[in-house]
Amino acid sequence: MVNSLRPETLSEALEILSKNHCTVIAGGTDLMVQKARGFSIKPEFAKPLIFIEHLDELNHISLENGEIHIGACAILTDLIQSNLIPDTFKEVIGQMASPPTRNLATIGGNIVNASPAGDTLPYLYAVDAKIELKSVNDTRLIPINEFITAPKTTILKEDELLTNIIIPNKEYDITIYRKLGQRKGMSLTKAAFHGMADISNEKISDIRMAFGSVAPTIVRSLKIETLLKDKNINELEILVPKVLAKYSELIKPIDDARSTAKYRKDVSLRLVEDFLNNLGEN
Amino acid sequence: MKIEFYLNNDLQDIEVDPAYRLLDLLRDDFGLTSVKEGCGEGECGACVVLMNGRAVNTCMVPAGSIVGKHIITLEEFKNTDRFKAIEKGFMEAGSVQCGFCTPGIVISTESLLNENPNPTDDEIKEGLSGNLCRCTGYNMIIKGIRLAMKKGEGLW
Amino acid sequence: MKENISKSIPRVDSKAKIRGEARYIADTEFENLLFARTIRSAKPKAKILSITLPEIPAGYFIVDKNDIPGKNRMRTVVSDHPIFAEDNVQYIGQPILLVVGEDREIIYDITSKIDIVYDEELPLLTLEEAEKTSAVFTDYHYDKGNPDEAFKSAKTIIEEEFSTGYQEHAYLEPNGIAAEFKNDVLMVYGSMQCPFYAKGALRETMDLSENKIRVVQSITGGAFGGKEEFPSLTACHVSVATKKSKKPVMMIYDRAEDIICSTKRHPSKVRYKAALDENENITALDIDVLFNAGAYNGLSPVVLQRGIFSATGVYNIPHLNVRGRNFMTNSVPSGAYRGFGAPQTIFGTEMLLHNIATKLGIDSLDYKMRHLLKKGDPTCTSGQIHDIVKMDEIINLATKNTDYYNKINTNKKYHGIGVSLFQHGCGFTGKGETMINGEIILSKSGHNVTLKVSSVEMGQGAETVLRKIVAYTLEISMENVSYTNPDTGMVPDSGPTVASRTTMIVGGLLRRAALEMKDRWKEADSFDVSKKYTHPNFLNWDDDKFQGDAYPVYSWGANVAEVEIDPVTYELTIKKLEGIYDVGVPIDERSLIGQMQGGIAQGIGWATIEVMEPQSGKLMQSNLTDYKVPTSMDVPEMNIDFISNPYEFGPFGAKCAGELPFVGAPPAVAAAVSNALGKPINHLPITPEKLMEIDNEN
Repeated sequence: MVNSLRPETLSEALEILSKNHCTVIAGGTDLMVQKARGFSIKPEFAKPLIFIEHLDELNHISLENGEIHIGACAILTDLIQSNLIPDTFKEVIGQMASPPTRNLATIGGNIVNASPAGDTLPYLYAVDAKIELKSVNDTRLIPINEFITAPKTTILKEDELLTNIIIPNKEYDITIYRKLGQRKGMSLTKAAFHGMADISNEKISDIRMAFGSVAPTIVRSLKIETLLKDKNINELEILVPKVLAKYSELIKPIDDARSTAKYRKDVSLRLVEDFLNNLGEN
Repeated sequence: MKIEFYLNNDLQDIEVDPAYRLLDLLRDDFGLTSVKEGCGEGECGACVVLMNGRAVNTCMVPAGSIVGKHIITLEEFKNTDRFKAIEKGFMEAGSVQCGFCTPGIVISTESLLNENPNPTDDEIKEGLSGNLCRCTGYNMIIKGIRLAMKKGEGLW
Repeated sequence: MKENISKSIPRVDSKAKIRGEARYIADTEFENLLFARTIRSAKPKAKILSITLPEIPAGYFIVDKNDIPGKNRMRTVVSDHPIFAEDNVQYIGQPILLVVGEDREIIYDITSKIDIVYDEELPLLTLEEAEKTSAVFTDYHYDKGNPDEAFKSAKTIIEEEFSTGYQEHAYLEPNGIAAEFKNDVLMVYGSMQCPFYAKGALRETMDLSENKIRVVQSITGGAFGGKEEFPSLTACHVSVATKKSKKPVMMIYDRAEDIICSTKRHPSKVRYKAALDENENITALDIDVLFNAGAYNGLSPVVLQRGIFSATGVYNIPHLNVRGRNFMTNSVPSGAYRGFGAPQTIFGTEMLLHNIATKLGIDSLDYKMRHLLKKGDPTCTSGQIHDIVKMDEIINLATKNTDYYNKINTNKKYHGIGVSLFQHGCGFTGKGETMINGEIILSKSGHNVTLKVSSVEMGQGAETVLRKIVAYTLEISMENVSYTNPDTGMVPDSGPTVASRTTMIVGGLLRRAALEMKDRWKEADSFDVSKKYTHPNFLNWDDDKFQGDAYPVYSWGANVAEVEIDPVTYELTIKKLEGIYDVGVPIDERSLIGQMQGGIAQGIGWATIEVMEPQSGKLMQSNLTDYKVPTSMDVPEMNIDFISNPYEFGPFGAKCAGELPFVGAPPAVAAAVSNALGKPINHLPITPEKLMEIDNEN
């Protein structure tokens, strides 16, 4: 039995991490399954566990300086029930896993797990979420697209904890979120698309698009969005094929147990096309 | 690790490996066999119990996480009026066939109605979406929940 | 006062289950219990060169082929599956040995240190490969009329091919079994459908006599055929283990383990050639049925038989040439699963007629109705439809309730409605019931009557239905009729709980016994009435030529499915499914509706989301995260109704019902999808990936 640890405060946790090799566990919904060994057998962890899910400093959902601050250990169900979380993000969270799993899982866990199919990620990328990382001696704020570098890989250092996620306090005029799973309930994501736009005076004043599960990391392109920004919505007809061609180069899905590369790519392009075509109609 | 938590309204103080699954703690150490293991991966809902009022998959909960929490299993919940309403609803609707999913469904029903006393059919389906049933096709379970809401009016 | 048998009563097993008080095998306590874990083949086909064991602590055991007292083969229709592998393995997951001991973590640790060296051989991995090499377990054939002539004189010949995939039972309770010796008697307890099958297997493998084995069914958390013959294998495993260790041994499968190694539905390919006459009616069918039986034959011959005897569905086709083959592949063995071969062929036949009609510009329902069987018609095996067929009434109700004729003409693209017509032969195929020769005993003691049958309650409502048949016949209260989970030491062999036979055959025997008991009630305070199965003598069956009455009677049905396809993502939503059935007379309507809805949901799963694909002999979807069964959000509203058609030889007129609802759903959904896209749907499962391709091909 490895000696596991349950600090009372965040600074205690960081202190422990600075001196020990540990496995950080929050909700446990990824780790407990990854390390499962079979019925009636305890999962195996090579390193001591450090429990953080209960830490007050990691459980807030608050508004600060016009931005929404979400503690890394905020439970998914709490995010859905919070008045502060934008509706379109609630839509994402409401389709993750299943109700009992959402009652356990944390937003921080989903981010640090850094799966290419991570459900919270397309939205967080699209809104330029910032990730706060803390260690005993340092605090850094990283844009989420720099935090995750490859499938299941982040720049989180061994003595660091993800503590805070910062997103703009903003609802967009038009939002479309589509998650495709192998069935309607309780499904991992085959392909996901999140599109958000503001239209003002028939011009696209702001537009964000992100794709999940179709590349090693989330697909988002500022370049492509810039093509559309400030354009008039009746220019879309000419622009859409260009946009699709450019996304086609970035979307690189794989075949696996859940779906095919061909379908994932085709459906992603169809979803963004549908989103753009409908912008004019709203 | 020393763990203090509330199990079926009794304070427990135990020494346990914190990686030990809550599922095994409840079934093997406390003999609470209403909690079933159906998959061990959080995909079937047969293992759910109420933790601070919400349904959770015990196969994914490490013992180190339950400090200070209130855990209720069907062994305790079956003594409540809410349970009686659910029981009546399920009996009348034919919601039970092989019964293996049933304890988890009862717990998820309580978790759902506790948070949302008047769900629509879609909300009921969504509330149940973490509980697999292979026998009934769900229609009669949803009917059973509707009847439970009627019979238990005012309880949630 | 005789009560209406169909009127629903509360199910007798529900209360304990709702209260969480029902104890399944994994909830059962034994003193000095040991656990067993299975080491399985990692290769699809190989010779085992060596097995190197770590140091085994005291109190822990390795159990393998050397510990088997009797035959190292699982007794079933074809007893070819080794209990423990000998010097070779034939599929990934094949059991090689057990590690047995008290602490499951220590067992796990030992298993992780066992090193097996294989000499790999070239496996056959797909039906295609097997067909090329003619790796066939069984090759069956029958014909009717003069198909050669019919094809020669046909105005049109149409050829089509259909395919269906694997299906996993995914009962919520994984396989679990335990064994101990009690006073010299081998006691086996577990989740199972057929205690006497397990007993028969144990007799051969443990080399014990009749009275030294007792198999007791535990409360069973779902089965669907997956616990028909498979528990015979696990029963042998734990029995060999308990003999060696001299302590009780329990084995509960992990879910992923259960999925990898337990029997599956046979994947299929069915090829049709149809001869149409000048009126465009089908006069002849040439049907070639190919099943993937996996590495061992086992129960597959009977599955194939039902598949080929159901190959013309509800239609009267005058000329037939039907061939069925079970192919061997180095994959997990295929076995019993609700429908038992018929879903594969009925899917093909339904879609064949649907496609032909669509090609001809005729409404597919009208086209199907041209060919419907009626009383007196010959069956595909040249037996006879002995009873009134009420398909017209069924179809009328189904189409009326769903506004089918209106919708089929007005649906826009991506909206579809489809119909399936189907039947299921009641009871065992051919001479099966005679071979089982089921027996039941009713025991009177004062005011109470005890049922002694080997039928199990596995969620389908058997306990309630069988007790109800007896209670209503004797006109006594349900409380005075008792039944306990079958113990082979206490009940006669009334046959396995399979083949949709429990209500009709076993219930039929109970009804006869109860009628006699009623007459003799005052005779004594306590006495028994026993009844043995007798096959109706107007039925004829030639088991060598496959000619005659394959089944004594059929249950019938029609399903109408309504679907919507998302034009951007091709996600499929089944909006409604209507099921109208003729099961003779429902013994308990609510229980039966539950069975119908459950069967439909399972059929929908097989048809749409339950994808199971092997790659290099390994199942890619081998846990519940990747193998998707329907959740509450995936199942439509299902409206179920029954028409009355009492069967003379069924208890209160009842026929069979358990498998029928599974058979009808997949072709109804496929027909609706075909209607929505305007393209044929010949392959299951129907996934968005496939639909996108189909809609965009020219």
